[in-house]
Amino acid sequence: MENNNSEVLLQIEDLCQYFGSTKAVNHVSFDVKKGEVFGLVGESGCGKTTTGRSIIKLYNITSGNIYFKGIRIGAGLMSYRLAIKKAREEYKEKMAAPGADKAVLKKELNAILAEQRKQIKLAKFDQKHCDHAYQERQMAAVREKYEKLLAEANESEKVDLKKKFKNELRIARKTRLVTKIQMIFQDPSASLDPRLTVREIISEGLIIQGEKDKEAINKKVDEMLELVGLVREHAGRYQHEFSGGQRQRIGIARAVIMQPEVIIADEPVSALDVSIQAQVINLLNDLRHELGLTILFIAHDLSVVKYFSDRIGVMYFGEMVELATSEELFLNPLHPYTRSLLSAIPLPDPEYEKTRQRIIYNPLAEHDYSVDKPIMREIKPGHFVKCNEAEYQKYLEILK
Amino acid sequence: MNTKLYVRNLTISFRTNEGKVQAVRGINFELNEGETLAIVGESGSGKSVTSKAILGILSGNSIIEGGEIIYDGKDLLKIPEEEFHKIRGDKIAMIFQDPMSSLNPIARIGKQLTEAMILKGKARQKESRLSFNAYLKNLSAELNVVLPDVDTDTKCKNFDKFEYKHLDLESAYNNAHDAAVEAVEEIGALVFELEKKAATDVNYRLKRIRSLAKDSVQTYVVDKNSAELLALCEKILPAYKSKNEQELINVLSSIKKILAEAIDFVAPNFFALGYYCTFSNEPIPELDIPELNKYLRKYLDEHFMLDFIENVQNAVKSSAQRSVDNMAIAIQQLKEKRECFAQSELKKKEIFDTFANLNACVKATIDPLAISKDSLTYTFGTGVRSELESYFYGKKNNKREEAKYEKQLAKHNAIKAKGKTPNWTVAAPSLVNFELVQSNILNQIDRLIRHYEEIIANQADRNYHEEAIAVIDYLKACASGVVQKVTYNKAKNKALKLLEEVGISEPRKRFKQYPFEFSGGMRQRIVIAIALAANPDILICDEPTTALDVTIQSQILELINKLKKERNLTVIFITHDLGVVANMADRIAVMYAGKIVEYGTSEDVFYHSAHPYTWALLSSMPDLDTNEKLDAIPGTPPNMIYPPVGDAFAERNKYAMKIDFERQPPMFKISDTHYAATWLLHPNAPKIDTPKIITDRIARMKKMKEAQENGKQ
Repeated sequence: MENNNSEVLLQIEDLCQYFGSTKAVNHVSFDVKKGEVFGLVGESGCGKTTTGRSIIKLYNITSGNIYFKGIRIGAGLMSYRLAIKKAREEYKEKMAAPGADKAVLKKELNAILAEQRKQIKLAKFDQKHCDHAYQERQMAAVREKYEKLLAEANESEKVDLKKKFKNELRIARKTRLVTKIQMIFQDPSASLDPRLTVREIISEGLIIQGEKDKEAINKKVDEMLELVGLVREHAGRYQHEFSGGQRQRIGIARAVIMQPEVIIADEPVSALDVSIQAQVINLLNDLRHELGLTILFIAHDLSVVKYFSDRIGVMYFGEMVELATSEELFLNPLHPYTRSLLSAIPLPDPEYEKTRQRIIYNPLAEHDYSVDKPIMREIKPGHFVKCNEAEYQKYLEILK
Repeated sequence: MNTKLYVRNLTISFRTNEGKVQAVRGINFELNEGETLAIVGESGSGKSVTSKAILGILSGNSIIEGGEIIYDGKDLLKIPEEEFHKIRGDKIAMIFQDPMSSLNPIARIGKQLTEAMILKGKARQKESRLSFNAYLKNLSAELNVVLPDVDTDTKCKNFDKFEYKHLDLESAYNNAHDAAVEAVEEIGALVFELEKKAATDVNYRLKRIRSLAKDSVQTYVVDKNSAELLALCEKILPAYKSKNEQELINVLSSIKKILAEAIDFVAPNFFALGYYCTFSNEPIPELDIPELNKYLRKYLDEHFMLDFIENVQNAVKSSAQRSVDNMAIAIQQLKEKRECFAQSELKKKEIFDTFANLNACVKATIDPLAISKDSLTYTFGTGVRSELESYFYGKKNNKREEAKYEKQLAKHNAIKAKGKTPNWTVAAPSLVNFELVQSNILNQIDRLIRHYEEIIANQADRNYHEEAIAVIDYLKACASGVVQKVTYNKAKNKALKLLEEVGISEPRKRFKQYPFEFSGGMRQRIVIAIALAANPDILICDEPTTALDVTIQSQILELINKLKKERNLTVIFITHDLGVVANMADRIAVMYAGKIVEYGTSEDVFYHSAHPYTWALLSSMPDLDTNEKLDAIPGTPPNMIYPPVGDAFAERNKYAMKIDFERQPPMFKISDTHYAATWLLHPNAPKIDTPKIITDRIARMKKMKEAQENGKQ
């Protein structure tokens, strides 16, 4: 599963998501490259799901930026507001000092404030209208395509073409960039509407997007059902008529029909039986190769993540503590939390299990961050660990 | 090894709108004391239903078609609800699968944790008192027979009296000792955090330490240093308020030193001390504790114990002798009357009369002074009665059912004749299988006869002295149950401890919260804490870690393992993940479609698995070194309203043979501990090797282990 493509599709920059005083996600940064599977692991409540949901804008993020295909789709305001506050306090002190030139200082302060306010405005605009640029781009492409066709077509064809043109233009106008990121949820029975048929569930996204041609929709739904290993006849049924694995397949079909470029799979297999889990994992793996999907795979089952992901980020209490390719992470786990996590994986072997020692992670005992605060440092190309200078040297020693 | 629980031929169905769902189809297993049995299978295989049947909480539409679950001499499928109250939650507890639906959403966590503790505490006190009195009464009656000229009543009463004194003394000591231990732990943790400058909640914890230290002032615990300890206790809060951390640490450390010394002391023999305090008018001699123990022991033995043990021994012997004599009579009766039950047609009045006679004979063999109850004797009455009842129920209703069957069959054939396949199947022609019922009854009789003969044969080898000592231990245990009161504060402290034990931080704050304020993992921990609160005998874990992530899963598994060792718990562990049970289970039962398909020790199942379903389970999950495509099991489990005629797994089985679709495989014996139900084990079947993905993994793990061991050396 080597991935040599270096185009960054999704870029998370300093993401913070606070709920009141709870810091669910705290300064998390990572990139997801095109075509790779990026695994996010950590214990429950560490913010992996929140990260996923922030990316598809189910929440308004507190701070940081999210870029998708180079367009900023999410932006938080907290960092700018903090900068304003800080500047105000700073200048207050400066002005209080004897012999300060108040007029000059005030001018400087105002300049800073204006700059930050501009940033806030931009962020607000991007947050709200991030699709604008994308829609323009799409519409231009459609216009260009049909202008050419219309010029060449004769009168009888023109009517038909015009109709198609209109339809596609409307879809392009309504296409939202965010629909290119789709999510698969953890509990398939809770995430599917019990009162809709499978066809309605799967086609809902298309209809919202502006597709009105019923035949096209049906054709697409049938295609999707076959793609995920169901049959056309299933389209008329309701979700309660399916088993857990089949429901998850419907959830996957619903995500894939939007032709997404990124899929966020939030624990797609942990609510399923073991025998069904393997079916779903195999399906996701096949889809990924067939459609060239990029997947952000959130899970707590490390064996599955290892099997499925190219790179893995380990999260602990809202912060990312280690990030590396999956082979590297399992070969050289450096952060004590990662090591503790790896030591907790049960394996189907009684003798090995009887001797397995779980490493207990206690942040207070492991780190001394009273003076030197930790940051993400690159220990080895592509292998990042959150540590301070002293630990950095220690890890380098270990790797030797 | 002592067997705790027998499940024999358990068959359960559910009535639904679509028809009768056969959830469990005749499963058998035994549960030995202190071991873990893992039941593995996917959802719908009947593993949860089995565990619910053990706990007597099957839903209303269930039909128990047959079989028995025997615990502590009682058949749990037949005892009344009132008796179940004593067992459910107290003796057999359960950790449920879905934490949200097993917690009350509108009650605080604290209340849910302590409620059962307080109620059960009261009930236990009452029950202990009753069983203590009943046993002493039996003993006294028996002694009157054995030694008519000695005043045995007073002796028993004396035992009663001084036993209470003993327990008063001991519980006071235990409370103080526990307080000291807890205080030492708490101080250790707090000092560590203070040094790291990360302590939270300091004020509260200091107050708690102070009260714990004060509680530990008690004779034989903190005795000589008590003045010094109390003085130190008063210094704690001023030291904290003065914000001088070093001073606070010093004070705490010196308290810890005193308490730690006290903990290490040997405890006096309270049993002997109780006797001395009650019956000797002299003050307790001032000796070192070991010396004192020797002195007290001697005093007790000379004045009371040796004599009492001998009396009890005589009583036990005579009672056992009588019971054995009765057994000889019972065997004779059983052998004579066996024929009555083997008749081709049973007559209701006659058979019930015979049964009543037999039952009286069997009941007479019950030894009132035996401590462990003999399950076969106890369940004989209820077991045979229920079989007889179902027989006569069948007699009454079978004719109607047969008529119905004829009608349906005709309709079915008519549809088939038209060339269509009907989407329904014909119901069974009869409700009750008479032959099966009769053979069940005969089985029970035969088993009882064999059991009696065994006891009679072993009669000569019994050691009555040991039995007498066991009786005294039993009385002690009963009496201690009476003295232990559960107050709200005690329950709360225990609950807080439990919450901490299951890994919930800030238990004091959490104690007051509602279930919806917790995350999934946290909720599951609370459910586990509640299950453990009653100190159960058997713990049923129904997928306790399915909703949790690895670290917590491994913590919970370790917790269950630790508790299992400490309390000699017997665990039934239900899961669909074989990886989880590798370090938990002593034995594993793999279930599919209501049947056990493979049964063996965990080594048997993991290293020498024989059933294709076990192979599929083992190979369908990736481990850390899996790179190839996963071996998923195709399809879904069969619809149990119309269970397949042959092997239920045949349709999803890539090794299925023709016979798999036609006949159900019997349990083939592979070794003494290992059984599997698959036709592949039949001598005529083609030889199929274990899939490569599994053998590869075993080889890989072996290499890894060797590498590890080499690394250690």
